[in-house]
Amino acid sequence: MNELVETFARNAAAAGFVVHRVAAPELPGAGVSRAAYGIAATGSVVVASSPDEPRSRHLLPEVHVSLLRQDAVVPDLAALFAALAGKLPSALAIVTGPSRSADIEQRLVVGVHGPREVHVVIE
Amino acid sequence: MSFPVLDEHRLAATDAATLRLLNGRIEAWAQLDDVEDLRERAHAIRMAAIDDLDAHLDRFVSALEAAGGRAHVCATAEEARATVVRICLESGAKLAAKSKSMLSEEIGLNAALEAAGVGVVETDLGEYILQLAGEHPVHIIAPAIEKTADDVAALLSAVDGAPVEPRLEALAQAARRQLRRVFEEADVGITGANFAVCETGSICLVTNEGNGGLVTALPRVHVALLGIERVVPTLDDLSVLLQLLARSGTGQTLTTYTRLLTGPRRDGEEDGPDEVHVVLVDNGRTNLRRGRYREMLACIRCGACLNVCPVYRKAGGGAYGPVYSGPMGAVLVPLLRGLEREPHLPHASSLCGACTTACPVKIPLHELLLDLRRDLVGEEIVSRRERLAFTLWSLLWSRPALYRLSTALGRLGRPLGAIAGPGRTWAVGRALPPLARRRYRDRA
Repeated sequence: MNELVETFARNAAAAGFVVHRVAAPELPGAGVSRAAYGIAATGSVVVASSPDEPRSRHLLPEVHVSLLRQDAVVPDLAALFAALAGKLPSALAIVTGPSRSADIEQRLVVGVHGPREVHVVIE
Repeated sequence: MSFPVLDEHRLAATDAATLRLLNGRIEAWAQLDDVEDLRERAHAIRMAAIDDLDAHLDRFVSALEAAGGRAHVCATAEEARATVVRICLESGAKLAAKSKSMLSEEIGLNAALEAAGVGVVETDLGEYILQLAGEHPVHIIAPAIEKTADDVAALLSAVDGAPVEPRLEALAQAARRQLRRVFEEADVGITGANFAVCETGSICLVTNEGNGGLVTALPRVHVALLGIERVVPTLDDLSVLLQLLARSGTGQTLTTYTRLLTGPRRDGEEDGPDEVHVVLVDNGRTNLRRGRYREMLACIRCGACLNVCPVYRKAGGGAYGPVYSGPMGAVLVPLLRGLEREPHLPHASSLCGACTTACPVKIPLHELLLDLRRDLVGEEIVSRRERLAFTLWSLLWSRPALYRLSTALGRLGRPLGAIAGPGRTWAVGRALPPLARRRYRDRA
């Protein structure tokens, strides 16, 4: 696997994603999205709204899975925006880990409004 | 003027939270190859937008309209409030779900909506807690910094009508359940805007909880409040600022959800708003556009200056006023509202310069504070008596003979000072220190 994808996998794990390299896990009730891009530098998945990808799909379920093709991994934010070439969907979400808050006593808690568990499957 | 004093608990909470945030920033900055270069670039990008603000706003509005959104330009807080209320009423809204927006605090939006019969619920966890408590944010990115788990449990229990345990997970789950209903029932989603991108007409919105996504996915109407200075020319410029925003605010490489919203839902999409309204708010920002304070418009509201400020960390956000606090608030609020209405704020600083060092967009905050103090004197906002006292003092102490005379008089007058003259007020409850018999300079 190439270096960019390795960097993505490392940073995604650090950001709180469960990273899968082979097949999608069996997770009943999970929302599943096709990620348009992955960002290696930050370990983020990029979800673009479309008729097949509602804005709320990666937010409403407790568990969410993103499917990411290896060739959709870009180095960084600047490369993502260059790849989009000014053509933006109505909502572009750059997701870096599970929903989290530190609003109570600055202690981290996950799954506040969005999913508490996030997976990414590198295909 | 009275300032609320932090009790021990609040002081400890503020101290611990700001320390964590500032250490987070330092670590996150250290991970960048060349943070100084990035800060310089960020500064240049912000200033380029501000120097030619009208042209940038025109470009943003054209691109927004091309994407199907509507722009509303508002000169004052009153106009902005009225605009949002009108949009809500015209769409027949009963309930608005809000994502965190300091600008909405600045213009006092919630009270206006409620007065017009539109219910409004804050959905950021910290803001929700404060709304339940009937309080204002004390930190621009960690609004409920002073609340404990027990405080939060009491507030959430009152909503449920049943006790919620003061465990962190239980509290988060209770808030999730209470607010999920709000997302689903709300007719309007109201958000702020971290940035507006001129080339695409997009609003950039960052949240860690995901509430920014839900309020712009489920309600029929999206209203975004945008400070007119928050425009960024291109997506490439945005990428520079995004690399600094979360790192400087919380120490994250990116905020969990970084969202670019470009117009309403498109054909075939099953969620997203039918209408997108961007309310561009001036509310005093034009005052800053010319002259030396224009750099303050570069602020990206990360909160880094609050976390390092010795005054903020000991006094707490409540001491500054209801909206912006810390060094950025002490500079911005007098400029937005008028120095004569906020003459105390420029003094809420030790001028140590920690804020300037922490600012990701290199605003010389402590220099601006000093300039504001100069203006207080120059514009004769400071009382005549105070100005006279300092004029006399500088007159005396800038001449060696008069300086010597004054210290001689001081030695002589010390016993008298406590009894009569201006020294008396100061001496209440204090022992006046005696001046040495022999001056230091005479001992050499």
